[in-house]
This record gives sequence, C-alpha cells and structure tokens, in this order.
Amino acid sequence: MSINAIAKKYSYKTLAERELEDANEEYEHFVPNLSTMSPSLTLPPISQPTEFLRAHTDDSVNPECKIKIAHGTTTLAFRFQGGIVVAVDSRATAGSWVASQTVKKVIEINPMLLGTMAGGAADCQYWETWLGTQCRLHELRNKERISVAAASKILCNLMYEYKGMGLSMGTMVCGCTPKEGPTIYYVDSDGTRLKGDMFSVGSGQTFAYGVMDSNYRWDLTVDEALYLGKRAILAATHRDAYSGGSINLFHVTEKGWVYHGNYDVGPLFWEIKEKEGSFNNVKV
Amino acid sequence: MQAQNTLLNTEYSTDAQTEPIEHRFNPYQDNGGTILGIAGEDFAVLAGDTRQTVGYSIDSRYEPKVHDVGDNLLLSANGFSADGVQLVKVFQNQLKWYHFDNNKEMAVSSAARLIQHMLYRKRMFPYYVATILAGLDEEGKGAIYSFDPVGSYEREQCRAGGAAASLIMPFLDNQVNFKNQMDPESNGTKRRPLKYLSLEEVIQLVRDAFTSATERHIEVGDGLQILIVTKDGVRSEYFPLKKD
Amino acid sequence: MVGLSFDNYQRNQYLVNQAGFKAPKATSTGTTIVGCQFKGGVVIAADTRATTGPIVADKNCEKLHRIAPKIWCAGAGTAADTEMVTQLIQSNLELHSMYMNREPRVISAMQMLKQHLFKYQGYVGAYLIVAGVDPTGPHLFSIQAHGSTDIGYYMSLGSGSLAAIAVLERDWKEDLSREEAMKLCATAIQAGIFNDLGSGSNVDLCVMETGKDAQLYRNYLTPNVREQKQKNYRFARGTTAVLSKSVFDLVDVIKEEEIVVGTDAMDVDL
Repeated sequence: MSINAIAKKYSYKTLAERELEDANEEYEHFVPNLSTMSPSLTLPPISQPTEFLRAHTDDSVNPECKIKIAHGTTTLAFRFQGGIVVAVDSRATAGSWVASQTVKKVIEINPMLLGTMAGGAADCQYWETWLGTQCRLHELRNKERISVAAASKILCNLMYEYKGMGLSMGTMVCGCTPKEGPTIYYVDSDGTRLKGDMFSVGSGQTFAYGVMDSNYRWDLTVDEALYLGKRAILAATHRDAYSGGSINLFHVTEKGWVYHGNYDVGPLFWEIKEKEGSFNNVKV
Repeated sequence: MQAQNTLLNTEYSTDAQTEPIEHRFNPYQDNGGTILGIAGEDFAVLAGDTRQTVGYSIDSRYEPKVHDVGDNLLLSANGFSADGVQLVKVFQNQLKWYHFDNNKEMAVSSAARLIQHMLYRKRMFPYYVATILAGLDEEGKGAIYSFDPVGSYEREQCRAGGAAASLIMPFLDNQVNFKNQMDPESNGTKRRPLKYLSLEEVIQLVRDAFTSATERHIEVGDGLQILIVTKDGVRSEYFPLKKD
Repeated sequence: MVGLSFDNYQRNQYLVNQAGFKAPKATSTGTTIVGCQFKGGVVIAADTRATTGPIVADKNCEKLHRIAPKIWCAGAGTAADTEMVTQLIQSNLELHSMYMNREPRVISAMQMLKQHLFKYQGYVGAYLIVAGVDPTGPHLFSIQAHGSTDIGYYMSLGSGSLAAIAVLERDWKEDLSREEAMKLCATAIQAGIFNDLGSGSNVDLCVMETGKDAQLYRNYLTPNVREQKQKNYRFARGTTAVLSKSVFDLVDVIKEEEIVVGTDAMDVDL
C-alpha cells in the first residue's frame, strides 16, 4: 500500500476529489467505442453508415435531403498586444432558409477558454461543451489548469477519430495561460490543428480577412482591436448571404474572457457607415 | 448467401444476379404538421396541429403531438412521427429515472441539455424531427428551447417548427419580436420597444398563425391543440381547424 | 420465405434492360374532377385548389373550361397544359363548326384532344374529363395525357379520384334526375376536398342539358370558408422605418407678382 493510499484512508475527501470520483462513476455508464473519453453514438444498421448519413444530411450532395444541418457563418479571432479578440455573427442557415438570427457562436468552454462555432451547429455545440468537461477533469486530475495547446489537442484527437464520418466543424480554441500567453488554435473536423495569430472561419471568412489584413497592427489598443473585430464581421455580414443577424464580441486576457456585447447588424451598419463614411456603394 | 438460395431458378435468374441491385435504406417519412412555441413573462405555450399525413393522404385528423411530459414541461418533436414519439417516450423514461436518482423536479434548462444528448447520440442516424421544449425557468419566466435534428439548441422567445415553419416564423418575428416595426410615436425613427405579450394575445397569435398556415399549406389542418404551462400547471385548449 | 416477394423484380428488371420497356411511373396530380350523366344531360364538377408542392397557390382557381358553348371540360394535371390545350381545341373546334356549318360535337372535341395529346407522348400533362350536349345527345369522356380515352356514365380523375369514385360507385344509378346528378357530383368532389390533400376549397359545377344552354355554377358549394381572424393586423401610421427623406418640387411655385405691362415695350394681344 502506497503512502498516498494510507493517507487517503485517514483524510477527508476534498470537494474536487469527490467531483472527480462522481465524474468517473458517471462515465462508467457510457460504453466507450472509439476512445475511453467519448460517449457512444448509435449507427444505422447497414454496411455503409457514412454513405447513409451523407445521402440524408449533406445538402451539397443531395439538395433534396430531408435533414438539413445548419451551416454558414463568419467567425474570427486574432491575437494582439492586449490579448485576443473573438468576434462572430449569429446567423444559422439550412439551405436558403434562415433558421435563426440569434445563435450563440462563441461557446464558453470554461471561464478561461472560448471556442467558436462554424460548420455543423450541433457538432460544435456538443463537442465543445464536452471539451469543457474534459478540461474540468484535467484540472481535477492534475490540480492545474489545462493549457490551450492541450485542450485544443483533446478536441483535435476526437475529431481525427471521427474523421470521414460526416462531422463538420471549424473552430478556434482561444485562451490565455501563464505558460503560453494569449493563444489561438484552429481545429477542424478533418483533424487539422494549427496555432496562429489570426484566423477567420466560415463562408464569410474572405470578407473578414480583407478587413483584418488591411487594418491589423500588433499594438492595437483594446478598444481598437474590439472595433476591428466588429468591423470585420460587419463587412462579412454585408457581403455574405449566409452570415448576418448580430455580432458577438469577446476579449480574452490572462484573467479570463470578457463579453463585450451584442450588436444587431441592422442599425450597426448605418451607424458605422455614417461614422466612417464607408460603404459608399450603399445609398442612404 | 442466404438471399440467393431463396431466388427462384428461372430463365431470368442469371440476369438478376449480374444486375446490381440498388438497396437504398430509407427509414424516414414526412408526416407533415407544424408546431409553435411562444414564451411569455410567467407562462409558455406550445401548440401543434393534430393532422398526420403521408403524401396526399390523411392518416389521422386527431393525433396530438404536443406532450405534457411532467415537471411542468411540454415537449413536441415534429417531422417523422415515429421518431417524434420515440424521442418523447425516451425522454419521459429518462425523466422518471431522474426523479428516482435525484428526488427533485427537472429544470427546463436540464431537460434541454438532456434532449441535446438524446439527439446527438443519434448523430450518425438522426431522428428526423424539429423539437421544441417549453416550460418555466428557475425565475418562473416562460422558456422555449428549440432543437435541430442532431441536437444543437438555443433558448428563444418563440419558434415554429415543421412543415409550415417557413410560413409562420416571419409572422412571429414581426408580431412577437416586433421585427421591422418602428414605434409609431417616433414616426418611423425608433424601433418599437419589446414587451412581454399577455397570454390572451399569445393565444390569439397562435390561432391566427395556424388558421393562416391551414389556408396555404396542405399538410396543416383539422385541429389545433394548445398546451399552456404556468406556475399552476399545464392547461390544454383545442380549436377546430379547416379539414380540406 | 419470410418477408416481401421480389419475384417480379427479376422480370421487370429483365423487361427494362433487355426488352426495352420503361419502368412504370406513378403520377399524382393535385385535383379532384368528376363527371356524371343523367337523364337528358351531363354534369361535370371540380374542386378549386391549385398547388405547387405542399403550398396552396390558388384557393379558388377555375378548373372547368369551356370548349364550346355546350361542351365543357374539367382538367387535372399540369395546370398550364389543361388550360392551353383546352383553348387550342376550343379555337379549332369553332373553326371546324363554322366550316361544317353544324353545331360542334363532343366526340369531335375528344378526337382533337386525344390526337393532340398522343402526338406529344404524354409530355403535355393534361388529364381531362370532357362533357357536353350536341345534336346526338349528351356525352361524357375522359382523356389521359398519353392520348387514351374512355367513355362512361360516371368518372373521376386526379389525385382525389379514388375518394370521388368511391362516392360515385356507391350512389350512381341509371336515369338520375338533374338535381340528383348535381348533388352526386358535388358530394364526390367534397370527398376529394376533405380526404385528398391535393384538393380543397370549393366545388365548381357545370350542367349541360339537351335543348338548353349549359349552366356553370361557379362556387356551387363553399364548405371551407375561413373563420374570422382573432386579431386585427393593421399597422399604425409611423410603423415603417424612415431611412431618408427627400422632397421634390414637381410644380414650380412662383410667387405672385404684379406684372406691369409696358405700353410701348410690348404689344400684347388680348
């Protein structure tokens, strides 16, 4: 018997230890199929489940498919002197149907980590909340906050295991740790994982990059950086039919993330147009 | 192979074996119908028509699809009715176990997360349904949660799902969230301020939404079932719709 | 052997691949139309719903077309085709009747329609019930889009034809009176309206009786009147957003001035 085990017998369990034990117990209910970490998914009882899924849910293969999964987005995140700015739109589309104008495309993985949402809404929402539980378990097991690198790798490994099975996700995992500083990792459903200073993901990415590339500087002030994020998404919602609704703004620092509000692109467009004297292609 | 043993030995059997046979597994059906949920300050309603269809045929004129699942929660899964029924049943079963395990009512936010997991579990073989959950939140305010077929969800003020969703949703945007409406006092310069609608107003909107959808969508009609959840429990109302 | 029998699958596959047959294709058209003969005349009737997919395009369309004053036709299938083919045959029949100096006959209309439709091999998607009275008496025919025709005392066509024919089979008898025939056709259409999603709204009806003018009963029955709305949706003045304002002077407003007419500077004729 190790000294730890003996000591444990005579000591109270901390709250964290109890939570970890509960979590372990909870996970015994799931039958692990791909890795010990992920819950099981039901497959259709046929030889080629992936083809089945594609025929019924992929509207690029079969426009008449019955189950339309939400796509279309503009999301961005960039690093600068004062941390990270994350900005996203809020539109969800299924084919030409605007399913929602109020989607939360920034997923608050935990008070320190943010994930963005592009691609399949359910895939992003589900696996990024799942990533939140994995990060918590990491904290409980290692008595230390998870690094952005490790968190993004958990998600990336999961995506790689499901590769080719029809998941659709393009996300930026953003966070700030003492070891790493402000860090952004891009992870997608192909299993790609990239560290970088500036990313934009989604159907409106080119429009957002256009604005960011021409106005970005490392020594942007926090207010300037937030404005740039907002402005880049606005440009994307203006030109990309699959992006729109409102803009959600976040700022990530070593103290965690801070929410900087929601801006309806309807009034925002006229406000910015008037203030900047931009968008002169649009008549008042 | 067993299948080949069952083939009759006819003059065509050689052709049949050389011809590739397309086996398309199609376990889905569209049973039409529409559902609609609106949240108020201290209530929520979830309504649905009672017609069930396949193609041009009416299978039933009264097959209620909005369910009072207990714990002051209303649930409806519209689309392929077999999947919808299965989802509601599994949910009710899970709710029962939740009571045994935790000895408390399930909060509407927890129910929403549970439904996400139930839907996502079948990510590779989805339930063909648009799901709406209605209830009261921890503060007693009306809550509507809407789900896509594979479990992405969002809390909203109102949501229409199913066949006539595209007919009803723009009407709701305008009449519930006052989209594209300015405050008449401001003479078209300021947005009309948002306000909670009364239960009477909401019922009126629901009835008008459904009579209008019945006019223009062939799969909607026969009857309108409205379930209303307040702190005093669940109440049900029924209004006939056109049967053509 | 458990399950469904696929025995004919082999044969059909053989027919398609080797014998050059086409696989049968079921066509459904969103309409109910009927026709029925009675003592001394004939009645045709139709519902008034027009659809595009699951959406009701017209709640009160006209599916009863006039080919000649006493020859009418009910159309199912592609709306444009029934309309155009009917108009074409109407013109040709009129010319034919003037050339022959005789009243047009129902059988001529039918023959012209079927020859036209056959020529287009079913691509003109008109499914018609042609009825009327001429010097040879009352007649009732049905025509399929491919050009085949049927004669009968009662018949139905369209997606609601099964619901309608059930009523006709149950209630039709020889030597119906005019009123009985009208009632029967209307009931048959209502069966389609209520049981077939492709049909709906009102009943149109046309009676053609020997020795009398044809009588069209537009909206003979209206069993699907919409109830009053719960709320009034009139928008208050000022609800529409004002993005910008501009005012144009369409008329030059000139300030009234006293014009002094010079006596010698100008010579003005009054």
